[in-house]
Amino acid sequence: MKSADVVNVDPNGQTFLQRVYLVEIVKGLWVTLRHFVGNLFGRSYTVTVPWPEVKREYSDRLRGKHILLTRDDGSPRCVACYMCETACPADCIHIEAEEDPTAAVEWEKRPKVFTIDLLRCVFCGFCVDACPKEAIVMSREHEMAFSSRDQAVVGLAELLQKQPVATLDLGYRPYYGESKRLIALPIPMKSSTS
Amino acid sequence: MARPKSGQELPVMNTAAGGTAAARQPDGSNVFLTTRLEHVLDSARANSLWPFPFGTACCAIEFMSVVMSHYDLSRFGAEVVRFSPRQSDLLIVAGTVTDKMAPVMVRIYEQMAEPKYVISMGACACTGGFYRAYHVVQGIDEFIPVDIYVPGCPPTPEALLTGVVSLQEMIRRGETHYQRMAAAAKAGGVHGDA
Amino acid sequence: MATREALLETIRSLFPDGSGVAEDAGCDVLTVRSDRTALPHLAQRLKNDPSLDFDLLADVCGVDYPDRSERFEVVYHLASLTHGHRLRIRVPLREDDATLPSLIGVWKSADWFEREAFDMFGIIFDGHPNLRRILCHPSFRGHALRKDYDPGQRWLLREGEQYEPAWARDVREDDDHFETQILNLGPSHPATHGTLRVIARLDGEIITQAEVEIGYLHRCFEKMAESHTWNQVIPYTDRLNYCSPMINGVGYALAVERLLGVTAPPRAETIRLILSELSRIMDHIVCIGANLNDLGAMTPFLYMYEAREEIYSVLEACAGGRLTISYVRIGGLANDVPAGFEDAVRYLIGKVTRVVDDMERLITKNRIFRDRTEGIGVLSAVDAVNWGWTGPCLRASGVGYDVRKAHPYLGYETYDFQVPVATGGDTLARYLVRVEEIRQSLRLVDQGLARLAPGPIISDDHRVALPAKDKVYTEMESLIWHFKLIMDGMKVPAGEVYGFTEGANGELGFYIVSDGGGKPYRIKVRPPCFAIFQAYPEMLQGRMIADSVAILGSLNIIAGELDR
Repeated sequence: MKSADVVNVDPNGQTFLQRVYLVEIVKGLWVTLRHFVGNLFGRSYTVTVPWPEVKREYSDRLRGKHILLTRDDGSPRCVACYMCETACPADCIHIEAEEDPTAAVEWEKRPKVFTIDLLRCVFCGFCVDACPKEAIVMSREHEMAFSSRDQAVVGLAELLQKQPVATLDLGYRPYYGESKRLIALPIPMKSSTS
Repeated sequence: MARPKSGQELPVMNTAAGGTAAARQPDGSNVFLTTRLEHVLDSARANSLWPFPFGTACCAIEFMSVVMSHYDLSRFGAEVVRFSPRQSDLLIVAGTVTDKMAPVMVRIYEQMAEPKYVISMGACACTGGFYRAYHVVQGIDEFIPVDIYVPGCPPTPEALLTGVVSLQEMIRRGETHYQRMAAAAKAGGVHGDA
Repeated sequence: MATREALLETIRSLFPDGSGVAEDAGCDVLTVRSDRTALPHLAQRLKNDPSLDFDLLADVCGVDYPDRSERFEVVYHLASLTHGHRLRIRVPLREDDATLPSLIGVWKSADWFEREAFDMFGIIFDGHPNLRRILCHPSFRGHALRKDYDPGQRWLLREGEQYEPAWARDVREDDDHFETQILNLGPSHPATHGTLRVIARLDGEIITQAEVEIGYLHRCFEKMAESHTWNQVIPYTDRLNYCSPMINGVGYALAVERLLGVTAPPRAETIRLILSELSRIMDHIVCIGANLNDLGAMTPFLYMYEAREEIYSVLEACAGGRLTISYVRIGGLANDVPAGFEDAVRYLIGKVTRVVDDMERLITKNRIFRDRTEGIGVLSAVDAVNWGWTGPCLRASGVGYDVRKAHPYLGYETYDFQVPVATGGDTLARYLVRVEEIRQSLRLVDQGLARLAPGPIISDDHRVALPAKDKVYTEMESLIWHFKLIMDGMKVPAGEVYGFTEGANGELGFYIVSDGGGKPYRIKVRPPCFAIFQAYPEMLQGRMIADSVAILGSLNIIAGELDR
């Protein structure tokens, strides 16, 4: 490498005052006292988000629990094409297709069984990328805890959301539209929607 | 926020001598022989969990986030993070457990003094995640009993805190593995047969 | 740096009778095929001949080609730090005769790499002093990366079957007739950051003999990569070095893009660079913070972690995940960055500067810290290169090798930054190099932000990148591209490539072999800390047990990358 590219970071020897260490103690205490006093009057160094009373707002694109969207008439948008099942690296999606009796020209099938094993899922979002019908998206719900492995296998009943799309709390999805919130830094200790 | 559903995974207790019927509460929910003292002790245990972070992989980094300033685990009483199994009662398995690491994990679990609880954090610890491989344990419940499964890869710190809060509620309700085994032993002992 | 032709001529002249080496034309780097009888002589001359001077053995791996008569192939990747040229050597082996001489006498770096090739393929290296399994557990049967090995076939390791070194079992006395003690550190230990195990024989406080055992986090990345499509491997790469996830994904994507012959658009390259440097800052914060934590200084880690959390917020806003971001795609990035990205990153630059300044005020001139780290864990420059070290640990020993300067990618040659080098080679030097690297990375981020110009975020070649969703919903042709890419995976032309980038720990290499299909044929990851950790037992000789913790923290061993 050329010498202009290199910066030498060899340490200098220690001076007498540094070896005696008293000055360093004072300097170190100055830093920690600054944080302490700053927190005492005005909480300027505190960063703790007091969960669960206050929750940090997740970003617009958080990859959380999955949601199956519905068309206007309430039927699932999913046409059981198996693309999400193929794209999933963890093989956690299981679909069984059946013929849709209300089929129109654009589709023929609908899912009879659609389960996701949430404990296998790595929340990578590849299923959302793979879906050609915008049928599966991810919500911003990431706080889950189960007391057995069977509870974590969620099916159509729990995944299908029949509410209008605009009311859902969506995370990772194909279109974001106008950004509703900018990246909040420093991380606010009070949620904007508390 | 999903909570573990209570009352569904209770083991089939031996009712030959009618032992459990006498202990059933008026609302039909609690079938254990818990005394008031046990109740107070469980409440104390729930509020002062001492975690043993068995951190192997990426989830250990998110666990570090949980004990750091932003999402302080010590606000839930779990301040004393000890790396000694004799001095802790909550084993948080954070990260993939491989077949080489499994005897180590079992040894640590057995060295912990009772009462002890286990949280399985992250997809790899719960089910092996997307590592369906020749060296990865497909879920730590092959070796040790698990009380709470927290999904995510890695779970956000809020998700792990949800898991800890759910565990605290499970302890208060008496549904953890340790409490069930202890109650079963007590019920079997009182009525003479196992 | 010699041209490929000149290099080939010099190598051919090592064998005057014309045998011994043959060139494989058309590869990304000069590749020669050798047979195992010529290999020791070739290796000696490659290392010692001044015009060749291949002092760094970067990687040794095996590849399995079951339909060839010579089933196994051992591939060596060599680099010359002084001249800058690189070489690949291939040695084909038959299945019934899979032995070849070990190169551990020439490059000490061959030690663990050859053990891994033995573990994964069953190739025997004659002359290796310790040819045992390294990643899989002792009760494992079979060789996992062979093509006929079922990926799901597990073997149980029972209590009592774990590895115990023979030297640890005998009772030895020191000169004063006191019995020496065997101490086992790990794999679950607060000071081992990750699942590492050190077995040491102690004479009082002094370590007289040490051995290291790894493989406690062997998650079979390479086998999983063979059964997933090219894009599906990206979540797996995130979990390699999980403290700096973007760098792994970028390294993998760059290697595959070389095979494909596509380049990501300029905006994607700039964002990849910005996020890679932020990941490097995150990794150095964890390394320094954990190292200081072990030495007893707990405050700086708490202060620096605030910066990490805020970098997480930015990554979550871009990609959807904090730690395992899976943001990279072959050909570019998954999504464009959100609004407010530039302001957030400018805030981050200020925040990281503030926390690192605070930490330096507390630590750098502190006498206790100096006494605990100065002169501890010294490895000379010659030894370090011989062991295969790269990255900040090598630069702390005085060798100024940085892949970003030596073989630039992502446009690094157009950025103005410096590479810190120290000459002490001890723990203090490694700390100082990392702190200065954080500051230089901040400079890079600043310059990257200034160059961010609007543009596409992923290649428009639809054999590689998914079409935009609005086209998939409306146009039939885009839907067909989308369908073929998801169902079959992108087809990467047959060939091989060794793509290497500067990870947070050193040279992170991906040796990728493609057979033209939608799934990789073989991916070998060259982890920087694999080579670094091999030297640890030698560094521990004669040191005290408390120093072992200080040294281990400064090496930044990430188990996800070490064991894959």
